[in-house]
Amino acid sequence: MLSIESLSIQLGEFSVQEVCLEIPDGEYFIIIGPTGAGKTVLLETIAGIYRPETGRIVLDGKDITRLEPRDRNIGMVYQDYMLFPHLTVAGNIAFGLRQRLVSERRQEDAVQEMGQLLGIAHLLDRYPITLSGGEQQRVALARALVLKPRVLLLDEPMSALDSQTRERISRELIAIRKATGTTIVQITHHFEEVHTLADRIAIMQDGNVVQVGEPSEVFLHPANTFAAEFLCIGNMIRGVSSRLGRLARIEAGGQVFYAASEVTGSVVATLHPEDVIISSEPFISSARNCLEGTVTGIVPVGSVVRIVLDVGFPLTALLTRESCHDLTLGPGRKVYATFKASAVHVIPVTAQEPEYRD
Amino acid sequence: MRRLSLAFTLFVFAIISVTLAVLILYSPPDILLGSLANPEIQFAIGLSIVTSVASTLICIIVAVPVAYALARYTFPGKQVATLVLTLPLTLPPLVAGIALLLFFGTTPWGRALESAGFAVIFTPLGIVVAQVFVNLPFMVRILRSAFASINPRFEHVAKTLGCTEAGAFFQVTLPMARHGLLAGTVVTWSKAMGEFGAVLMLAGATTMKTETLPIALYLNISTGDVDLAVAAATILIFISLAALCCVEYLDRDVNVF
Repeated sequence: MLSIESLSIQLGEFSVQEVCLEIPDGEYFIIIGPTGAGKTVLLETIAGIYRPETGRIVLDGKDITRLEPRDRNIGMVYQDYMLFPHLTVAGNIAFGLRQRLVSERRQEDAVQEMGQLLGIAHLLDRYPITLSGGEQQRVALARALVLKPRVLLLDEPMSALDSQTRERISRELIAIRKATGTTIVQITHHFEEVHTLADRIAIMQDGNVVQVGEPSEVFLHPANTFAAEFLCIGNMIRGVSSRLGRLARIEAGGQVFYAASEVTGSVVATLHPEDVIISSEPFISSARNCLEGTVTGIVPVGSVVRIVLDVGFPLTALLTRESCHDLTLGPGRKVYATFKASAVHVIPVTAQEPEYRD
Repeated sequence: MRRLSLAFTLFVFAIISVTLAVLILYSPPDILLGSLANPEIQFAIGLSIVTSVASTLICIIVAVPVAYALARYTFPGKQVATLVLTLPLTLPPLVAGIALLLFFGTTPWGRALESAGFAVIFTPLGIVVAQVFVNLPFMVRILRSAFASINPRFEHVAKTLGCTEAGAFFQVTLPMARHGLLAGTVVTWSKAMGEFGAVLMLAGATTMKTETLPIALYLNISTGDVDLAVAAATILIFISLAALCCVEYLDRDVNVF
């Protein structure tokens, strides 16, 4: 178990404020947030590069806040891999073992084993500068993993890779985690990685952790407008909410719709485009909301089509190409948008809340 | 434009190479070789090599920590420190020399050093001191930019892999800065070989005592012994050429000047 207890550190323009996280053994934990949110500083503080101003870091019940990085048994892989250019791949992987005065024989065996595990055994005599991005990534992982760290910290490990390599390395990371049981804490600003890799995620904004939870939970119920915008939830509707029985009645852009929520006052309602059904006639169903509107835009995205409606406010829905064709949708066409009250998530808007703009 | 600039390049090239060629070809080879056998020239070569190697080593030892601090740490007065540390770069060596002379000759600290056996005025030791004073800023500058170009995250990773701070420096940063270190060493050494003004002021120009190659050149030209002066000059040219080739060969990326 890795516990971060109200950790604060200020480093130039970057800061981390009162961050608390509990990461159980073997978890794949991803921290997401925009550039400048303090993600890397947080990771470097966990690794021991910087001393926090306040707070504690506890690993397996032991306070490691004041421990030197070399005594923490925490591995770190940076975005640009930071392979030592004056050493061969084998020299890079064996670097940590040499510090621990492991015998030459055992160094060689461990390097071979790592080379096999990560599929870089044929590169051991090369210098890092001659490797591709994906290969460098594997060497950096091997260099950290050969020490069998308790926790592996990954600083945007895939951001410099093409999408195919990224997918392959994602699969390998999952396999490595399974094989070694290492706890992995990764930071990223790609949320595609979040769904495939993470057991849990934390969202960071301006040095604060604004939400922690399982990816699906966070995507369905973002804690604030920043999280919702950062996660690119398709529909964010500003309005005013009031109670109506067990539901919230939300007025926005001259329209009214209902949400299963108890939040009242000034709100932002989030709604995933996948949860919106489009029909040419009013759709009779158990769904509470059925709004009339006109199509204003049709954007093909891969195998699906993104339909933008004006129902008094802009509303986005996702359809398959086939349904889009069957409905003979086109700009200006009058349609009905149906969605369940339970699909709408309501976030209260406080006056001081900073608005996130990318 | 292309023709004009190429013409100028050719012109400047011709001026430099013809001038140097005239000097090298001034005395017939047998006289040049004869000068090399002259005990005064041999003494000058020996003294130049010993003092320049010593001063270069001192420069390396001092400049490595200084350059690292300037590249990595922020501290109060850093800008002033940087300015003062690099001032001797643009200072005429004669001025540096007279400042040293006054420091060692007139201040209580200078006299204390002298009575402690560290006599530098008009001694070979003074040659080393003068060379270090003038050349240290070059070494610091070259090393500073070498260290500054190395991402500190290399050291961070090394530390998570089990290094102490010193270990990370000696196993990662210093090897990565080796091109800068070599370039700095070659430049410092060749400048030490040729140092004249500061050496003249502090160590004087005593035949067969503080007579380095540039001093030998100066002494012999003032007494009209052109052959010996030319011999000393020719040796200095070859040393410069060798140093330059060294730097070019060692590193095509590090900008020395």
